[in-house]
Amino acid sequence: MREKMQQIKDTKAFQSLITSVIALVISLLLGAVIIWLSGYSPVESYKAILGFSLGTKKGIALSLSQATPIMFTGLAVAIAYKVRMINTGAEGQLYVGAMAAAVAGAYITFLPRAVHIPAAMFCGIMAGGLAALFVAFLKVRFGAGEVITSLMLNQVLILFTSYLANGPLKSEGSGLAQTEMILETAELTRLIPKTQLTTAVLIAVIAAFILHFILTRTTYGYEMKAIGLNVDAAKTAGIHVSRIYLRTFFISGAIAGLCGASMALGTNHRFVEGFSVNYGFAGISVAALAAYNPLGVILSAILFGVLKAGSITLNRTTPVPIEFVDVIQVLVVILVAAPTLIRALIKPFSLLVKGGK
Amino acid sequence: MGNIANLTYVVLVSTLRMSVPLILASTGGAFSIRCGVSDLGCEGMMIAGAFFGMLGSYITGNPWLGLVTAMLFGAIFSMIHAVMHVTYRVNATISGMCVNLLGTAITPLLLQVIWGVRGKSAQVAAFSPLNLEWMKKIPAIGRMMAAQNIIFYLTIVLVVLGWMFLFKTTAGLRMRMVSENPQAASTVGINVTGYKYFGVMMSGIFCGLGGAYLSLGQMNMFIDGMTSGRGYIAVVINAFGRFSPLGALAGSIFFGFFDSLQTVFQGSVIPTQWMMMLPYILTLAVISVGLRKSRSPAGVGKYHE
Repeated sequence: MREKMQQIKDTKAFQSLITSVIALVISLLLGAVIIWLSGYSPVESYKAILGFSLGTKKGIALSLSQATPIMFTGLAVAIAYKVRMINTGAEGQLYVGAMAAAVAGAYITFLPRAVHIPAAMFCGIMAGGLAALFVAFLKVRFGAGEVITSLMLNQVLILFTSYLANGPLKSEGSGLAQTEMILETAELTRLIPKTQLTTAVLIAVIAAFILHFILTRTTYGYEMKAIGLNVDAAKTAGIHVSRIYLRTFFISGAIAGLCGASMALGTNHRFVEGFSVNYGFAGISVAALAAYNPLGVILSAILFGVLKAGSITLNRTTPVPIEFVDVIQVLVVILVAAPTLIRALIKPFSLLVKGGK
Repeated sequence: MGNIANLTYVVLVSTLRMSVPLILASTGGAFSIRCGVSDLGCEGMMIAGAFFGMLGSYITGNPWLGLVTAMLFGAIFSMIHAVMHVTYRVNATISGMCVNLLGTAITPLLLQVIWGVRGKSAQVAAFSPLNLEWMKKIPAIGRMMAAQNIIFYLTIVLVVLGWMFLFKTTAGLRMRMVSENPQAASTVGINVTGYKYFGVMMSGIFCGLGGAYLSLGQMNMFIDGMTSGRGYIAVVINAFGRFSPLGALAGSIFFGFFDSLQTVFQGSVIPTQWMMMLPYILTLAVISVGLRKSRSPAGVGKYHE
């Protein structure tokens, strides 16, 4: 029994879980300091946040709907990181994904609901996937670093969708830069009426399980891990590295596209210029907190969703600044990303404890 | 005729104004890449510079001290990147993004904590265009030069000094050696970690200044999210300019030119988005297909034992 416990403790997954939890606790404490410095009671604030987010139906719905987009982008970043690529292009990919889905949702008029939603989703997936595939192609063919090309492509894609929403696809008679409303047959079903919570969250969770399955149970997943551990060794072992890069980035972009599609079909019911509040970049924090584990992404996204939803409500009743959640989010990532940093931070404490004994 | 001359004047003046923050940030980026560390944290260091530059000027009433605070906090933010990536060996893209996310999250928070407001700060003492009489009298470029403020001239000097340091001094040579091959550099007795920290700190100082130009040069206040992705553009320009301060200068003016054209073409037949897209498409083509030399130094992101 003891041996078994030791085995569990030695696994990487367990260690990264511990790191994440410690990082989270430290960050929440730092968050408390921030609240306290702003002149409010940290205990009351956290109570209010959790009380709303976990204690009320509306709060749970808001938490999950806030978690959905970052769950998608977190998955997009996590899967690409398996081959040690960082998808900084999720922001652009989710914009084209949303545009493609919104266009399919508004202009395809003859499909029944059961086909229309998947069809519109598919358009979003393809748009995001192809955008990412282009970046991977530039890497494989010309050796161009994906981080910089993705950042450039982000600008191009965001500007292009903005052009469409302001120009040829602009909703008639609307003062805002947005496309026509999608048809009812393309709208995602609301899980709780009168909230933003739609079936999108289920799609995200299913996507996470599929990715987990791919990573742990398929040859492709094995090849990805091999590349992640050592590219040169993987090459020597006969793995088609370029092909895996292309495929992985396509999947990553497809999930980011799905994020945009779910926003267009579920939340906004159309493409709205500037709808993403850096969801693509937030995905990097979500994935890092989850140690790039797809199932972990579900949890870390929900966690940030809970904090976000709580602070939105808190902000309506008390003047506690909503931004402190974003700061906590980054602090968690900084601490998680550097496990050795955490060890250095807690070393004095553990010495104290041991010394006390 | 007079109309065209006036239009050219407007475009040129605004090109230079748009370029300054880009020049500073991408020169900072060059320092970062040339010590072998990715420059993805520019956005966060810039927004820190914009905010703390404003704060420094607000507290002291002196925009020059604002610039000093901006440089200081740019450096502090860059140290997060350095500690994570250089000392704790976190992937540089992740640590750079952490700096960016922290910058964009903490500045509105501080705005809220210090002034209790959202969106923008109070007005502070800032820099205004020089408007020197003797300068205006220089033929052709005089009026354009006089419309710039002192930071513009400071920027030009710093870029030249930065280029001289990187490419004409022994320390610069050693730093570039670290960026090409940290292992070899370490073997011949170069303090690799020291140079990396120095390079990243320089990038923080430059980016901080670039941010301060936005809040103290273009405006006289801090506006939430006022860098609006310029730090990322700087990363792109830096690659475009082959990681040299002079390349960064040229690249920034190129991007600044397209930026200023969109104000001119507003409401014309060509949609502004297409104008704005053009430099990115060109850069994408140049970096991926064209210049093999725009590859970053071989040792970026690598460590010595």
